[in-house]
Amino acid sequence: MFLAWREINYSKTRFALIIGVVVLVSYLVFFLTGLAYGLAQENRTSVDKWDATGIVLADESNLNINMSMFPKDLMDDVEATETASLGVTSSVVQLVEETDDDSKVNVTFFGISDEEFIFPDVIEGEAFNGDNEVIADISLKEEEGYELNDELSLAGMDSTITIVGFTEDSKFNVSPVLYTDHETYQHIRASGFGEREDEIISAIVVQSDNGDLSGIELDSDDLELYGIDEFITNLPGYNAQVLTFGLMIGFLVLIAAMIIGIFIYVLTLQKSSILGVMKAQGISSKYIGKSVIGQTLLLTLFGVLTGLTLTLITGILLPNAVPYMNNFLFLISITILLIVVALLGAFFSVRTVVKIDPLEAIS
Amino acid sequence: MKLIELKNVTKVFDDGRKKIEALKETNFSVEEGEFVSIIGPSGSGKSTFLTIIGGLQTPTEGKVFINDDKFSELQEKKRAAKRFEEIGFILQASNLIPFLTVKDQLQLVNKINKTKFDKKDVESLLEELSINDLMDKYPSDLSGGERQRAAIARALYHDPSVILADEPTASLDTDRAFEVVEILGRETKKKNKATIMVTHDERLTEYCDTVYVMEDGVLSKK
Ligand SMILES: Nc1ncnc2c1ncn2[C@@H]1O[C@H](COP(=O)(O)OP(=O)(O)OP(=O)(O)O)[C@@H](O)[C@H]1O
Ligand SMILES: [Mg+2]
Repeated sequence: MFLAWREINYSKTRFALIIGVVVLVSYLVFFLTGLAYGLAQENRTSVDKWDATGIVLADESNLNINMSMFPKDLMDDVEATETASLGVTSSVVQLVEETDDDSKVNVTFFGISDEEFIFPDVIEGEAFNGDNEVIADISLKEEEGYELNDELSLAGMDSTITIVGFTEDSKFNVSPVLYTDHETYQHIRASGFGEREDEIISAIVVQSDNGDLSGIELDSDDLELYGIDEFITNLPGYNAQVLTFGLMIGFLVLIAAMIIGIFIYVLTLQKSSILGVMKAQGISSKYIGKSVIGQTLLLTLFGVLTGLTLTLITGILLPNAVPYMNNFLFLISITILLIVVALLGAFFSVRTVVKIDPLEAIS
Repeated sequence: MKLIELKNVTKVFDDGRKKIEALKETNFSVEEGEFVSIIGPSGSGKSTFLTIIGGLQTPTEGKVFINDDKFSELQEKKRAAKRFEEIGFILQASNLIPFLTVKDQLQLVNKINKTKFDKKDVESLLEELSINDLMDKYPSDLSGGERQRAAIARALYHDPSVILADEPTASLDTDRAFEVVEILGRETKKKNKATIMVTHDERLTEYCDTVYVMEDGVLSKK
């Protein structure tokens, strides 16, 4: 560490530049991770919130809840600790007093009943209690400025709906969720498909005591039970998104680590004659190698932690509309990964140190 | 007491096509407190001879003893450790590390052999070489003569038994060169080292106890 520190201190500009690059690259990696995670979460927060074990969909829906439709009385065929009926449909809403296209918002309606377990906690206002009342995701307030008692018009429907409460963390497929009762839900859904006699729902959300699908019994050929994780992975676009971002981040980590590794390698090559003189004096490769590794550790630790701090600050300063979210497990793993891979790069440099022939350095 | 001893040492470079006998069979020794110089034309084998003594290359035949130890027979790693302990190198282009101040060059030795850095020791050593006010300077800020004196300080600091200097005055003007060689001779006597200096300037040998001439790999007393 003695050599590592002294050298950094002597060539301040050079090392400041290297640290600068490490900061920027790690900032990019961290920030992209936050965005990817935030976006992934926006697909699923409303589902995670149920804390469900599984979900029952129409057999022919192929795991796509938008294509799943069946009469509500089929609920009798499902045996589980807790069951909840759920109607899902997407729509477009707009404040009644607005007319321009910019003020239209894509939303997902969840038709639910108030005595079942997926009913959300209301953090502002109150629960819906009658026709055309909804509980809205808080993002509609934070991003669109909607308030309690605001009236919304719906695409393709004459009547309006009223926001009576707000709840947290309710996004489905990247759009905010509006919760309403089954009766209102039937109207909204029918506006797209034409009226039907029976009460139609999209899914039955189930919970079992042991958290295991085996505790759930299904007694209908028209329905199919899926684990909640399977359901989430098959949300439209979700898996593709997660894989795309996952690969991008993986490559970025690799590239970042390679950049650090290459820098250290070039630095080592540049001073190979000095290192040769040291070796001629009998200073062991082990000591020099340790100092190369120590220096890499200092550079990456400092650079990566600064990048992390910048990311956290950016996360706080970003407007709510940006789907950025911190996941500390990811941030810590990436920090460790970056440092470990950079150290691996440093080991290559140590190999060159071992190979330096002191005789060449002094002649 | 003999601090350096070579018995029947030869060095042959064989690049597959032809053999170069850089050092013919040599027997040689240097006593405690003896200041030896080696002169000779370019390519005669002086550096080869010196680096074999320093253990940077091994002899083709024969043995090198440093302080009664079979130095040339040691394993690479052990030889490096022994070199660190017993041998101080002074090179033509100075063996100082560019990113360490004069003081830190010496402190590095303490860091490596895990001994305590004693500022008084350092000050008195630098005072002997009259560079004590340059302690906090980097090598690039020193003149050639000051740099070589700092290199001597570095070579003496860990108290080796042997000092090997390969053309330590090559980059200096005559006055500085004489100064540096005089210091080297004085420290050899005072600290009882065995010192070998390679030089091409015969005038500098006036401070030496013994002068050898190297010619075509053959070493002979002058
Ligand atoms: N690694 C090597 N491989 C092959 N030949 C070598 C090697 N090292 C030295 N030689 C040869 O050995 C001979 C002696 O070289 P050496 O460097 O010892 O000369 P020198 O007396 O120090 O010369 P100078 O005064 O120019 O420094 C030269 O002919 C040189 O070409
Ligand atoms: Mg030479």
